[in-house]
Amino acid sequence: MSETARRTRGSGILLPILGLLAIIGVWWLVTIIFSIQKFLVPSPADVVASFLELPGYLLEQSVVTLAETLEGFALSIVVGVPLALLIVGSRILERTFYPLLLAVNAVPKIAIAPILVVWFGFGQWPKVVLVVLVCVFPIVISTASGMKSTPHELVELLRSLDSSRRQEFFKLRFFHALPQIFVGLKVAISLAVIGAVIAEFVGADAGLGFVIVQSGASADTSLAFAAMSLLAIISITLFYGLAYLERKVLPWAEEHR
Amino acid sequence: MIVLDGVAQVFDGRSGPVEALAGIDLEVGENEFVAVIGRSGCGKSTLLRLIAGLLPPTRGRVVVDGTPVTKPRRDVSFMFQRPALLPWRSVLSNVMLPIEIFGLEREQYRDRAHELLALVGLRGFEKRLPHELSGGMQQRVSLCRSLIHAPAVMLMDEPFSALDALTREELSEELQRIQLEQARTVVLVTHSVEEAAMLADRVVVLSPRPGRIRKIVDVTIERPRALGRPDVDEVGRELRDLLTTPVGEAL
Repeated sequence: MSETARRTRGSGILLPILGLLAIIGVWWLVTIIFSIQKFLVPSPADVVASFLELPGYLLEQSVVTLAETLEGFALSIVVGVPLALLIVGSRILERTFYPLLLAVNAVPKIAIAPILVVWFGFGQWPKVVLVVLVCVFPIVISTASGMKSTPHELVELLRSLDSSRRQEFFKLRFFHALPQIFVGLKVAISLAVIGAVIAEFVGADAGLGFVIVQSGASADTSLAFAAMSLLAIISITLFYGLAYLERKVLPWAEEHR
Repeated sequence: MIVLDGVAQVFDGRSGPVEALAGIDLEVGENEFVAVIGRSGCGKSTLLRLIAGLLPPTRGRVVVDGTPVTKPRRDVSFMFQRPALLPWRSVLSNVMLPIEIFGLEREQYRDRAHELLALVGLRGFEKRLPHELSGGMQQRVSLCRSLIHAPAVMLMDEPFSALDALTREELSEELQRIQLEQARTVVLVTHSVEEAAMLADRVVVLSPRPGRIRKIVDVTIERPRALGRPDVDEVGRELRDLLTTPVGEAL
């Protein structure tokens, strides 16, 4: 690794931390200077104290939300990638299902959430399904557009070898789409957490979304902030986890970054 | 080995049909090296795609090894202007791609892949990814890929045109060496008269719009030939004159 590369990587971790500390500092100062009441805007110290009161409980709820998010996300990949393959593979399927997909995506997910509770009850399933509904669209779009944008010369190369359509898909188009698929996955993972929380708002007895609803009822704003902070941590960790995986899995895509 | 019989190609252009090739009759013998030259737009790439079976001719017949061409054949390989390497595959695995696509036994061809890579000076680069190589090295990998399954016919579409002058010369020499070691039928499309004069047994000169055969020039200089030799340059000049003087004017 060169000197500059090391320096960039160092600042790549340091700068975001500095930014975060600065924001927390400003937030703290504002709560002190304007002596804002705790139930309106708690100070960072209040939030930490709130977490330390119930660390076990909050972590348990985090695990619930994290599980819903990951299950829904995984299911979205399982559903979304083959769906994209079908859409790219067949003009007829594309014409038939693309508008439908757009329609599903256009419906506000918060409107679907109560119906999902009616269908699937209060357990984790309505949450997982909502996460899928939120995630599947970016995954399908990115996968399909990645496969469609395969360079003509590579397609012609495979044709000149008299390849089957199957080979064209799985030896060429799919691999070529991988960097784009990862773009979709990174968009989807952020949405996934939001989807899980929305579903928890509507009907749940566990999870960070449930904690936020509960704390609102008792005006325990510090607790709500603690839960939100945990959500942010989950979201960021998942995002960077994916980015890390991308770098490990796709070293050949380095040139595009 | 290759017979083109009254081949014509018409494309649907935005302002009506465009005639790319008209009445092409050409025979290429076994292990003959034929170069096709012409100015841009004379349909020389189209000609190659017709032979490759990537494009059906509008009129006429294309026959390779006694059978009419309807789709790409396994004993005909195609080398593109650009390397067209799969960026996620190592050099070795790119060379092995045709073997995989054809569903042949990989083990039997691995040694051959290594030999070919060594032949073009890429020993030790087998595990590299394409983006780690220079343009010339990438095109060498592409050359190895088009030779891996020992095709009877090799079609080359301006394979060296995207490279710098020095690398072009090197690759032309390598191609000549490979051809001397094991001759096969080659049709090379190029816009470089020097390349054509150095490599070909016969040079087909196409005139543009629509592409027709203007003249076929036999090159009888013994091999190995080198660029810059007076007799090679002489043929090059003759070809250049054919390309620059409009059809109908006396030379």
